[in-house]
Amino acid sequence: MSLPQLEYCQARTVEEALELWAKKTKARYLAGGTDLLPQLRAASGTQLTLVDLKQIESLAKIGQAEDGAVSIGAAASVAAVAANATVRKRYPILSDCCLSLGSYPLRNRATVVGNICNASPCADTAAALLALDAIVVATSTKAKRRIPMVDFFQGPGESCLQAGELVEEILLPQATAGGRGHYGRIARRKSVDISTVAVLLSVLPKGQPRHRLSLLSVAPTPLRVFEAEAVLDERGPEGASQAAEIARASCTPISDVRASAEYRRDMVAVLTERGVMTLAQSMGG
Amino acid sequence: MSAERKTRIVGRSVAKSDGMELACGAPLFCEDQLPPGCLHARVLRSSYAHARIVSLDVAPAEQLEGVAAVLHHGNVPRVMRTTAGQGAPEPSPYDFTTFDSKLRYVGDRVAAVAAETPELARQALGLIQLEVEQLPAIIDAHKAQAPGAVVIHDEPDARVVIPVTYEPQRNLVAHVDFQVGDVEKGLAAADASFDREYSCHYAQHAPIEPHCALAEPLANGRLRITTSTQVPFHVRRIVAQALQWPVSRIRVIKPRIGGGFGAKQEVLIEDLVAFLAVRSGRPVFLRLSRAEEFNSRTRHPMHIRLRTSVSAKGELKSVDMNVLSNTGAYGCHGLTVVCNCGSKVLPLYRWDDIRFWADVVYTNGPVAGAYRGYGATQAAFAMEVQMDEMARALGIDPVQFRLQNHIRSGETSPVFQALGEGGEGVAQNIGSNGLAKCLRQAAKEFGWRRRPRRQSKAILRRGQGMACLMQGSSIPEVDMGAASIKMNEDGSFNLLVGATDLGTGSDTILAQIAAEVLGVEMAQILVTSSDTDLTPFDVGAYASSTTYLSGEAVRKAAKTVAGQIRKVAANILGLPVRKLSLAEGQVVAADGQSLTLARIGASSLYEKDQNQIGAFASHTTQKSPPPFSAHFAEVEVDTETGLVRVLDYVAAVDCGTAINPALAEGQVEGAVANGLGYALIEEIKLDERGRLRNGSFREYKIPSTLDLPKIRVILVPTYEASGPYGAKSVSEIGINGPLPAIANAIFDAVGVRLRQAPFTPEKILAALKAAEQESS
Repeated sequence: MSLPQLEYCQARTVEEALELWAKKTKARYLAGGTDLLPQLRAASGTQLTLVDLKQIESLAKIGQAEDGAVSIGAAASVAAVAANATVRKRYPILSDCCLSLGSYPLRNRATVVGNICNASPCADTAAALLALDAIVVATSTKAKRRIPMVDFFQGPGESCLQAGELVEEILLPQATAGGRGHYGRIARRKSVDISTVAVLLSVLPKGQPRHRLSLLSVAPTPLRVFEAEAVLDERGPEGASQAAEIARASCTPISDVRASAEYRRDMVAVLTERGVMTLAQSMGG
Repeated sequence: MSAERKTRIVGRSVAKSDGMELACGAPLFCEDQLPPGCLHARVLRSSYAHARIVSLDVAPAEQLEGVAAVLHHGNVPRVMRTTAGQGAPEPSPYDFTTFDSKLRYVGDRVAAVAAETPELARQALGLIQLEVEQLPAIIDAHKAQAPGAVVIHDEPDARVVIPVTYEPQRNLVAHVDFQVGDVEKGLAAADASFDREYSCHYAQHAPIEPHCALAEPLANGRLRITTSTQVPFHVRRIVAQALQWPVSRIRVIKPRIGGGFGAKQEVLIEDLVAFLAVRSGRPVFLRLSRAEEFNSRTRHPMHIRLRTSVSAKGELKSVDMNVLSNTGAYGCHGLTVVCNCGSKVLPLYRWDDIRFWADVVYTNGPVAGAYRGYGATQAAFAMEVQMDEMARALGIDPVQFRLQNHIRSGETSPVFQALGEGGEGVAQNIGSNGLAKCLRQAAKEFGWRRRPRRQSKAILRRGQGMACLMQGSSIPEVDMGAASIKMNEDGSFNLLVGATDLGTGSDTILAQIAAEVLGVEMAQILVTSSDTDLTPFDVGAYASSTTYLSGEAVRKAAKTVAGQIRKVAANILGLPVRKLSLAEGQVVAADGQSLTLARIGASSLYEKDQNQIGAFASHTTQKSPPPFSAHFAEVEVDTETGLVRVLDYVAAVDCGTAINPALAEGQVEGAVANGLGYALIEEIKLDERGRLRNGSFREYKIPSTLDLPKIRVILVPTYEASGPYGAKSVSEIGINGPLPAIANAIFDAVGVRLRQAPFTPEKILAALKAAEQESS
């Protein structure tokens, strides 16, 4: 692999990372690097500084935060999040989505925060984080802000982060704990493959709405379908096909080498309905 | 016929001789051996499917500091030849030269650069100014012969060097047509007849190691080429041809290589490093990028129309197979792959009338070449799906239907005589044939027709399918393998073979054969293979030939050496030679006296009647005994998503004697995995301008272990009298099974016939929808 001219720096604190970024003409934050390094191949020839976040102790944490929330630090690997006892107990749908990403070695390296910052329409963890009303905590030299997950994605590869802004952590609120879900994911093979289309339907024990429907790979960004959620809240499993139709209508997939737009739309409906039925069965049983 | 004898090392799963060093990461591959001061090469490739070069300015690249040589059509001699690594004269057309002024596919060579670093070489490519006149491109094989179609090979010097049909002015690479009996009459007269069309697609071999080669100019004016190839001796000959050098000035060495699957039965880059090394006077290394590897060679996409007829009792009557094969921009392997469609598929069953006719056409698509299965994969798909359809139409169990119609030991097929490597073939009677046993044992192991079936209304539906297969073992009266053995004073032996181990384990099994004959342990056999200066000739690793052909050469050489050893021992012991035999590292006399081989070796080299014990042997064959195989698959089709899950797979194979059962099973498992990928997910897709849409592992997926069912392999032993210790081939046959077995299982599950591979979810849903509309 041929890379552009790289300068590599290790930051020890968040402040140092922000400063390093500001000092350099062109810098990128580096966590797992599983998205960043392949992207750098395309940037061949340009001068670039990588600011590595992995040595910042505070960012490696997965654990309790204020207000009963659970914090996922920017350097926490996808595998660590998937295996974390608190996550598995309180947010099992996040654990499920994590385990669909890449492969064992990739999950050991990749981070949940990186998966979000890459802002791919097929980011597996985004399906769960959207459903859980996660909060993205971003810091810059000027301020710290909390961005609701639903406002985070702007387009393919685009998030609402400002230049130099660093995501320190993602907060999983107490209010959405205890949900269960069905992650329907169609891909060409079972590992190291992005989804052709994926649908996460989850049900929370409390909160408004109780049903959460997230779609991947069928729009410029990961998507929540609030209208379908309302239907399911109101009608329960009987609203399955209506919700499926709403979901189908609300996505805007493209045709590419993996599948046609038409197939993706149809599968959004199929997987939505399947999610409703599976959850209804498991609750009844 | 010699009876099956009890063997000591043949038939045992001894450890692969290079396994430990490979597992420990020893520097055994081409790229591990770059000398100091080695230059790195890169290739500028066409981004046009069809264009003529108007001007090419390489001066800015040549002037870049660190660039040692730039090659292009203006400074490399034009020598028409083929890249196909086949015996001479090659059956592939001479339609290729190192660089041409015309570009015939996206990826065709424009220029090559050698520079101090790969980065500099790439930078130099960017400085080359290319101006072209774009020409209309043919992407669809059906349009290649349309009236007024653009001529892809309009150069006057494109030609064939064996007497076969070649009409480049019509984009026709090859045409084959033979008939035995009267097919039209036979089709019309029978109780039932079938007429269907099938298609297979582009796919890539995806070896873990891409093509790479190192050329080093030697002080004596020679050139040493270390290359990841299946055909070192053909590389020597074809590079000599390109350079217009005598063969004697070139030495080719094949180190350990990371897979080939046919992609490396091609002299694809060795000419470039050779020219660059000669021009620069320095060592030059080239490794293709993965993107280039995806566009290096592919499987021939084919359209097959298959017509058959059968009596009400289930006796096959007539067959008419018509193939349109797309060889892409160059004709390497075009003729021989299409001949294999007939010769490795039609003899499997007894037919009264047979017609096989085929056109191979040029297009401006990726260049097709050799790929495991070599045409048999595509044709077996058509045949075995149609066999299933026939059996069902007649109400006969598909296994029974095959048992009723397959060729038997002692029988022949007119196809053997009619179809060879382009011209006529070689008549042969079937020797060993374990197909009936394969069918019965695999059906039993699989539980054929004894599995619970899901309700036909369920969303997830299960089905079972099966297929029968044959291949060959080497090319009769064409291929040659040779071996030499010499004895050392400690009773060890150097075994030198031209045969090419491409990860298959041939070094190991050839050593097993030598050890068996010489009565020694594996450690006593030191194998050197694939070095054109040191080892005897061998055509290389293709056409499922190494075990059968090179193995017999080793056995013959070892037998001669064993005779020499007994003679020396007879002199020492004062006993007649016939009373002596070799066992456990000793020569043993009938009266109980014995001599160690070390004693004999030392005596022959240092003491008395000093003489190097050693021998050469070569082997050719008049036969290509087919291995036979029966595959069974169970699938689960998701009728809402179109996804197919392969739940179970059983492959029984008659490869004669398995010299090393573990390696033979590995070949079958690998071939089945390879075939499942081809059946379900692997497909190179082109856009309308002939560019690859998925030329990377990000978008072109091959199955991972998680996607594979448990593949159960049954080796059904038979004894092929013409092979070493009764062995036949095993490496290719297994890839032919998954396409038809999965297609038949899908039909069993959901009642739709898929005749266009691969069986993607969208195709399955479309077929289900069409079936639903038809029935309502």
